[in-house]
Amino acid sequence: MASPGGQGGALTTRERGGGAAKRMKWALELSLGNTRSRSDRQGGQGDVVYPIGYSDKPVPDTSIQETDKNLVEKRCWDVALGPLKQIPMNLFIMYMSGNTISIFPIMMVCMMAWRPIQALMSMSATFKLLESSSQQWLQGLVYLIGNLLASALAIYKCQSMGLLPTHSSDWLAFIDPPQRMEIMGGGMVL
Amino acid sequence: SAAAMAKFILLFLKLLAILYTVQAVFEDQVGKFDWKQQYVGSVRFAHFDNQIQSSKKVLVATEKNVFAAINTRTGELFWRHVDKTGPEGNIDALLLQGQDAVMVVGDGRILRSWEVNVGGLNWEMVLDSGSFQSASLVGHQEHVKYVAVLKKAAISLHYLSNGHQKWIENLPESDSVDYQSVYSEGKGEVFVLGLVPHSHITVVVYSIDDGEILKQFTVEAPWMPDLQSSCSVIGKGMLTCVDAGSLSLNMLDLHAHSEMNQIPLQSIGLEVSSGFRPVLVSSQPNAARPPLSEFFLQIGPDQHVLLQLNKGQILTLRDFKPAMLVSFATTGEKTVAAVMSPKNKTVNPPFLCINLFSAETGRRLLDTTLIFTMDPNGGKPEKLYVQAFLKKDDSVGYRVIVQTEDHQLTFIQQPGRVLWTREEALSDVVTMEMVDLPLTATQAELEGEFGKKADGLMSMVLKRLSSQLILLQAWLSHLWKLFYDARQPRSQVKNEVTIENLSRDEFNLQKMMVMVTASGKLFGIDSKTGTIVWKHYLDNVPSNAAFKLMVQRTTAHFPHPPQCTLLIKDKDTGLATLHVFNPIYGKKSHVTPPLLPQPILQSMLLPLMDQDYAKVLLLVDDQYKVSAFPSTKNVLQQLQDVASSVFFFLIDANQGRLSGYRLRTDLSTELIWEVVIPAEVQKIVTVNGKKANEHVHSQGRVMGDRSVLYKYLNPNLLALVTESTDQHQERSFVGIILIDGVTGRIIHEAVQRKARGPVHIVHSENWVVYEYWSTKSRRVEFSVIELYEGMELYNSTVFSSLDRPHAPQVLQQSYIFPSAISAMDATLTEKGITSRHLLIGLPSGGILSLPKMFLDPRRPEIVSEQSREENLIPYAPELPIRTEWFINYNQSVLRVRGIHTAPSGLESTCLVVAYGLDIYQTRVYPSKQFDVLKDDYDYMLISSVLLALFFATMISKRLAEVKLLNRAWR
Repeated sequence: MASPGGQGGALTTRERGGGAAKRMKWALELSLGNTRSRSDRQGGQGDVVYPIGYSDKPVPDTSIQETDKNLVEKRCWDVALGPLKQIPMNLFIMYMSGNTISIFPIMMVCMMAWRPIQALMSMSATFKLLESSSQQWLQGLVYLIGNLLASALAIYKCQSMGLLPTHSSDWLAFIDPPQRMEIMGGGMVL
Repeated sequence: SAAAMAKFILLFLKLLAILYTVQAVFEDQVGKFDWKQQYVGSVRFAHFDNQIQSSKKVLVATEKNVFAAINTRTGELFWRHVDKTGPEGNIDALLLQGQDAVMVVGDGRILRSWEVNVGGLNWEMVLDSGSFQSASLVGHQEHVKYVAVLKKAAISLHYLSNGHQKWIENLPESDSVDYQSVYSEGKGEVFVLGLVPHSHITVVVYSIDDGEILKQFTVEAPWMPDLQSSCSVIGKGMLTCVDAGSLSLNMLDLHAHSEMNQIPLQSIGLEVSSGFRPVLVSSQPNAARPPLSEFFLQIGPDQHVLLQLNKGQILTLRDFKPAMLVSFATTGEKTVAAVMSPKNKTVNPPFLCINLFSAETGRRLLDTTLIFTMDPNGGKPEKLYVQAFLKKDDSVGYRVIVQTEDHQLTFIQQPGRVLWTREEALSDVVTMEMVDLPLTATQAELEGEFGKKADGLMSMVLKRLSSQLILLQAWLSHLWKLFYDARQPRSQVKNEVTIENLSRDEFNLQKMMVMVTASGKLFGIDSKTGTIVWKHYLDNVPSNAAFKLMVQRTTAHFPHPPQCTLLIKDKDTGLATLHVFNPIYGKKSHVTPPLLPQPILQSMLLPLMDQDYAKVLLLVDDQYKVSAFPSTKNVLQQLQDVASSVFFFLIDANQGRLSGYRLRTDLSTELIWEVVIPAEVQKIVTVNGKKANEHVHSQGRVMGDRSVLYKYLNPNLLALVTESTDQHQERSFVGIILIDGVTGRIIHEAVQRKARGPVHIVHSENWVVYEYWSTKSRRVEFSVIELYEGMELYNSTVFSSLDRPHAPQVLQQSYIFPSAISAMDATLTEKGITSRHLLIGLPSGGILSLPKMFLDPRRPEIVSEQSREENLIPYAPELPIRTEWFINYNQSVLRVRGIHTAPSGLESTCLVVAYGLDIYQTRVYPSKQFDVLKDDYDYMLISSVLLALFFATMISKRLAEVKLLNRAWR
């Protein structure tokens, strides 16, 4: 949703971070020299000076139309089904990388495990994305299930690679030596 | 998971190992972490090589059957020949003639001639059987052509040039007459002197040319018990004997067979100290020369008389009192007598002085006094070997070797400069311990700060600041020293080890080796350099003593000094004494050990400590009563509390009886079990418990299916070795019995049929490895027994022998080893994480580090997926010996009797000391040095790369900023 005034305005406040911002917090450009895009300037070729706030482009129609709504819905479903769609791909990678422990399978597994976790952590952001959809809750659920499935797949991979501490041998190093109850000594008669 | 993670790390380590494969030491590491000291043993015969004036060799033949040449400048060995141990290699006689040293070995079995310059063998002759009596060179000075060997029933003459026998003759009436000595002037006749004790002397004269008996006569000598100890040939064929009964000299002219001429000592004005048996002491030191006319007669414990035989008359040349040791020496045509006497008895340590006297006149030679101090921690002088030489002005100069009771050789030059000492007692180390060095004074200061009670915040802060300041100061001075040393050439930097600069290093790699020798001399040796830091001679040690060395307090309890206790037991009387000392300084402790009036059977060190942090030592006497040392009230109270859980066992090998006792609160004991192994069938040889300082990190083994097989880690388990009394090769056997020392329960019993000892055994963790001789296949075999609890632990928190209902699983496997072995032990590390290796001393002089992995009863015959997963090596009956497994590369260590291992502060590193005739110290890394950067790690490269990267980052950041700005302006 573009704001009508901001586009071709000659008045631009530069608030980008970095070194440039340090030198000038804002600048008022009275001449027509917008830095943003060359297309803005096309209309203003010649030496015509427009008043502040004037845009030579027609203001777009911002009313929401039915087709757009369908599009948004479709887009939202795309987002929601994304993790599920990746599962066959992951399965293929899993099959290809094998169960041996070496640097590439480990990297794959790490990627596989990290991506769904990352996605789950940024769940709220995704929800915001899906806000416009009418089936927001369903989509969210599908998205969640997809990610959970992906992480389950990663765990399964870890398990088949033997990276999960599920055996008694994995806890062997933590067993302390038993305490001695008797004191014993002696030997051959000297 | 942990297992997979471990695999991952292993892979990484393997990758590293491929990059830096170190299988043995690099050439520049030779002698960096290891050292060797060579010994010869207590000297029996010593002769200076007087061939040329500039010769710097002394030839020694020792009680350890070693023949060696010692460099008189440095005290190091030129060469050394080590013969068989025991009577087979016993050196009976050593005769030096010019370049050749003739030796009779093994009770007259072998006659050998050596070339003394390089130590090469000239020739060797196997002699006819018969026990050896005496040997003598036949000839005159430079013209010695033969050597005569006298045996019990025969005399033989051999050419000196090639050892061939010239003739051999039987001795007449050899069953009744005891022929003891042979004498020849090299002019056609060989005199053989025999004795019928307390009856008469028999003299048989042989012709040198053909061995024909020229003359034979007997002389009455009813008082004489022994020929060799009381008689000597003086001058030109005058047999002179001393009669201790009637206190007289008896002379017999061998050329004119007359009666013995008795000269009472009183008649020549000699007074023998009451109760002393006079001894004829010394005569010609050079075997190739005719006997001297002068001789010494010892007539008192420290009184010697120099006598001369002059035209049948005995003259007294000089009376030496006090005189401890006397010796003759010749150089050129001059013969001198050296006399050692105490200089000043009141001073401690006493001064000793040696003077030279002309043998012909008894007059003292000018400027020949040699004064030196006796080592207060050494023994009394026992023998004196003199090397005399002519100086440029034709006067006589000399050097001496003094041999003391503690087998020390000291080489002294005029006017008393000790050039070198050799501690030959170290050729017979009985037991040893490695003790941590103390902290430096500053470290101790810091340590002490934490020990004290808090007394106010402010003072604590001040104390902390001051101690930090001291540390800073020490560090700065250390840096300065480093800088100072770095500027000097390497050879000038002296790393003298003294008691003052001994301190623990960062990784506790330097320790004090406390060694107990059979002669009763104790040594403290710095493990890094091999320097003897202290020595202490215990002069009242019986010759057949049993020793047991225990560390009662380590250096960890500052300010209490560390404390070691040596139990010395006389095997005849059974009585024992305790010597308590500080293992770092060697000083006798001020703690008075208890007097032990009863014979002591065994001792045992408890993990209990008294209030001064000394571990409690229990001594069991022959009434099975127990006494404690230290025995303060605190200790007795503690003992009462734990008495019911203190058990001890005693093994009487003669009766084959094993008995277990429990301590009662009143320090008496009760017998709780007894096992009898019939002594007629088999004899108990050794018993082996586990080392007290051993740590086992892993409680089980991970199987291929990732389950756990738990180890049976019984700290009370004993491995008992028996050998059959029947030595027939078909019926002999070796038995191994694993028995619980608390309950007497026999856990496992294995019999190796058709096998014979000597058995070497190592018992550690949950395994026992032993080695024996298989009489059936005539080869050395190894066998390993491993004990497992099974897939579940019975009780994972406490181990009590009294509550173990299940017997462990026993696995066993045997292997062929391609060499005999002389000693064996296993590596030991701080936490027990590092894999174990067996250290095996071979008779060839190598010390082999054999991975325990090769001795694993789970090695499969058929390889499966699971066994591969476990990294098990497929079973092969032969154990390999790889040359890179020799930890001592070319530094052969002969006759290894024991290998001592001690953990260092680094988990990867184990300190190893092999002792026998030689002493060798090194470090081993069974799992490579995973916790240490390499010696040649390139710090420069790494740090320069890091710096370069840092600057590159800075510069590129700046550039990126500029570029961003420029783009923003566009």
